[in-house]
Amino acid sequence: MAEYTCLIVEDSPMMRQLLVFALARVKNLRVTEADDGVDGLRKLATAKYDVIITDINMPIMDGLKLVKRVRSDPVHKDTPIIIITTEGSQEDRQRALQLGANAYITKPIQAPQVIAKVRELLKIDGNG
Amino acid sequence: MKGPSSTPSDVPYEDLKKERDAFVQQFFRKGAQLTEELLRENERLRERIDELTQEAQVLRHHLASDNAMRELLGKIESLEKEKRELLSRTSASQAASDQYSERYSEVEGELAHLANLHIATSELVRGRSVRQVLRILKELLAQLLGAGAFAVYHVTPDGSELVALTSEGLPASSVARLIVAESAVGRAFLRGEIKQESVGDTSKGTLATPSAVIPLDLDGTRIGAIAIFATLPQKTEWVPADTELFRVLSQHAAAALVHAKLYSDARGALPGLSAYVDQQD
Repeated sequence: MAEYTCLIVEDSPMMRQLLVFALARVKNLRVTEADDGVDGLRKLATAKYDVIITDINMPIMDGLKLVKRVRSDPVHKDTPIIIITTEGSQEDRQRALQLGANAYITKPIQAPQVIAKVRELLKIDGNG
Repeated sequence: MKGPSSTPSDVPYEDLKKERDAFVQQFFRKGAQLTEELLRENERLRERIDELTQEAQVLRHHLASDNAMRELLGKIESLEKEKRELLSRTSASQAASDQYSERYSEVEGELAHLANLHIATSELVRGRSVRQVLRILKELLAQLLGAGAFAVYHVTPDGSELVALTSEGLPASSVARLIVAESAVGRAFLRGEIKQESVGDTSKGTLATPSAVIPLDLDGTRIGAIAIFATLPQKTEWVPADTELFRVLSQHAAAALVHAKLYSDARGALPGLSAYVDQQD
């Protein structure tokens, strides 16, 4: 059975926990965590991921810069990216989608919503 | 040898001959007539036989058609029955599948809820300073409860006022201090019970009509309260999972704040073994 990999780039440990707990219910998905954009790029340089979930507002390197860098990376230029935004930040959301993000999740995060988005982008059917 | 005409009693030969010829001719004519009639009758009967044969064929065909029709009708009925059974089984399967999906969603929701409770408690005990605990509280309120405007209060030593330790979503000055006896938050704090809006839109709450108030309790002593004035626009009601989270916050947030304060006052110094020995209940 195929195994998928997901990189979570999020500065808040609580949010990372939330995402890790949610994604634990996607079968055969291995999750790696990164504290911010720079840490995320470091991890992307050493491994190939099937999906990336990134927050927009992060210190050191924000999610928008990360999306731009990922899209210019030949290895990950086609990797699906889900961005996490707040309800009021339509501009950031639009910018991220223009830069190449594939989908977005609005805070507060709902686990079923995260699971559904990841399954959709990884093309995993049903309850897998 | 005598000729026929030599017998005087005989009819004259010529007349007899004529009579005979006439008889023969009549006989043959009658015979021919009869033969023709017989032939015609034969022909008519053959035609009739052909007609009857055709009729018989048609009848046989009809009979065969009727049998085939009966067989087809029987087959249709059997297929209809099979179809009804299959539809019934499909409906049953669909119902079972729907029930399974519904149950699966419920379980997913329950798991998400349990994960939230676990995260809330584990995050609260992670704070090593009051500032950290407040930051964690703010994150919990925003991320797990969808709180948009809220404040965390501590009661003054005389118990008359609630002072905001941190707030979000409203001007700090408007929520900084609340008189216990004169505010909705204060009254809920005095009652010591979780107050939550159960009818209206939780995102439309105000300072005067907060959407939820969670008293902070430590071993029966109320040290403050969390007031959620309004939720984010996309969250318009409290669900049972939120009530559970209110309880967790009510029971653990006060302890987390007090422990973090004591820990930071001790400058991170950990008590030694002697501090635990003979302390057991």
